[in-house]
Amino acid sequence: MISVPNRRSAVPGGIAAALAVAGLAAALPWLGVSSYGQTLVYYAAYYLALGQAWNLMSGMTGYVSFAHGAFAGIGAYAVVIALNGDWRMLPALFAAAVAAVLASLVIGATSLRLRGIAFTFATLFFQELTLLILRKLPFTGGPGGLVLQQILPTWLPYVMMIALAAAATIAVAMLRRSRLGLRILALKGDEAAAVALGIDATRIKLALFCASAAIAGLAGAAHGLFAASLYPDVVFSVDISLVALAVPMIGGVATAIGPVVGAVLYVGIRELLQVVAPQLHLTIVGLLLLLVMLFLREGIAPAVAGSIRRRVRGAAVPSPAPEGSR
Amino acid sequence: MPLLEASALQKRFGGVDAVRGVAVRVEAGELLGLFGPNGAGKTTLFNLIAGAHLPDRGEIRFAGQDITRLPAFRRARLGIARTFQVVRPFRDLTVVENVLAAVPSEGASLHDGVAAAWSLLDHVGLADRANDRAGALTLGMLKRLEVARALATEPRLLLLDEPLAGLTAREAADLLAFIGGLKARTSIVMVEHNVRLSLPACDRAVVMEAGAVIAEGAPDEIRRHPEVVRAYLGEDAA
Repeated sequence: MISVPNRRSAVPGGIAAALAVAGLAAALPWLGVSSYGQTLVYYAAYYLALGQAWNLMSGMTGYVSFAHGAFAGIGAYAVVIALNGDWRMLPALFAAAVAAVLASLVIGATSLRLRGIAFTFATLFFQELTLLILRKLPFTGGPGGLVLQQILPTWLPYVMMIALAAAATIAVAMLRRSRLGLRILALKGDEAAAVALGIDATRIKLALFCASAAIAGLAGAAHGLFAASLYPDVVFSVDISLVALAVPMIGGVATAIGPVVGAVLYVGIRELLQVVAPQLHLTIVGLLLLLVMLFLREGIAPAVAGSIRRRVRGAAVPSPAPEGSR
Repeated sequence: MPLLEASALQKRFGGVDAVRGVAVRVEAGELLGLFGPNGAGKTTLFNLIAGAHLPDRGEIRFAGQDITRLPAFRRARLGIARTFQVVRPFRDLTVVENVLAAVPSEGASLHDGVAAAWSLLDHVGLADRANDRAGALTLGMLKRLEVARALATEPRLLLLDEPLAGLTAREAADLLAFIGGLKARTSIVMVEHNVRLSLPACDRAVVMEAGAVIAEGAPDEIRRHPEVVRAYLGEDAA
């Protein structure tokens, strides 16, 4: 169920909790946690950032994107190319975000005026097109890929990814409780009816898609720094787009907590299967997604929250005036 | 100057002239009925006024401004609100969220917006269902929710597309009385099938047939108009 922009007190609490978790996670390299543990946390943050990026656009509007892996890939290439060209870190990261946003504008400006499936096809097509182009471009290293020419401290991409994941989660939480968020959900519910109420659907969709691409581009950039070598077939594998979609859908779309649940579950499942059946993890995740869609519909987090709410009761828009109360 | 003035409107779908050369005006503060048999072009005319379709030819002026080519959301912001023939609530949002989403966010604080939404729900008699999912309401309630949602945009012109369709006689009479009471805050154009029930509530009526206006005038004139009797009321009143 939809939470409501009235329970404002819940927001600072949630943000404080998110910041505390993020701060703790970011401090792990200095707390003597094994590098294996750090890697797990890193990947959870990576998939969380990607999942929240997807959530911001597709979860909030219902326009399903298969291009978020490509945005991440573009961000990764942009940051590595910029750093290899002796740019400083901040401008290089900025370039990564801008490159991803420009890519989203190419898709969005052509397909977001239309409703429904046109956008999804445009994103799928774009994902394939990017891979094709990157393999041909002179400055992308072709099929052989690119290697970052400098050695960065390992904590840098780690901390960047956690900060990004936290920022994206907080952004979704705040949007979700704003009146703009409500209007976006109205648009998702019935676009024609929302437009008739004065909601500028095209502009909202385009703005969300750009913001979403920027986050995915930055996540890709941080991951590019983490991996330090980029192979086009890996960076632009459609798998990453599928994970960006599966993480919020399993955990719960259009919620801030859903992708957190989804990302932790996904990393856990992948890690367990790494030993038992390393080739099967996407299949298993697909199955899990199917089960969630069949039995929980809105995802794990909303289902759990719903069952708690049914027990506790409450959580509603309080009437400001006595005559409106029950 | 009329609040809304449309002239020589033309709209063609495929090979069909849905609206051909229609002129209508809506005066400030009036309730205008729009009648006609199925396929007469009433809903198309509505969609042209609301901006869901753009006309092939003709002009629409609202409060003196040419809005012929404006997109629907801009017309809504100028003060043209509508409901739909088949209700279109935001089913996953709660009842009060449905209304809150429609309150213009410019200027008003969230607190004021919530207060406005609640007072509208009170006005349409849905305050006790405010925190239920809209999808859980009955059709009669959804019709009232759509009116509340449209009113939340603070319209100067409210377009109601068959508001009484599907309601019981009792519900229809109640809603009609409620609509009559709205004239104090907005002008209204109402498309209706139930002429007998709704015509007396109108200040003026326009009757369409096959995409054109065949009669216009006060309810009494409409009732006696030979064209209307032939085209529409004849079958109904016989």
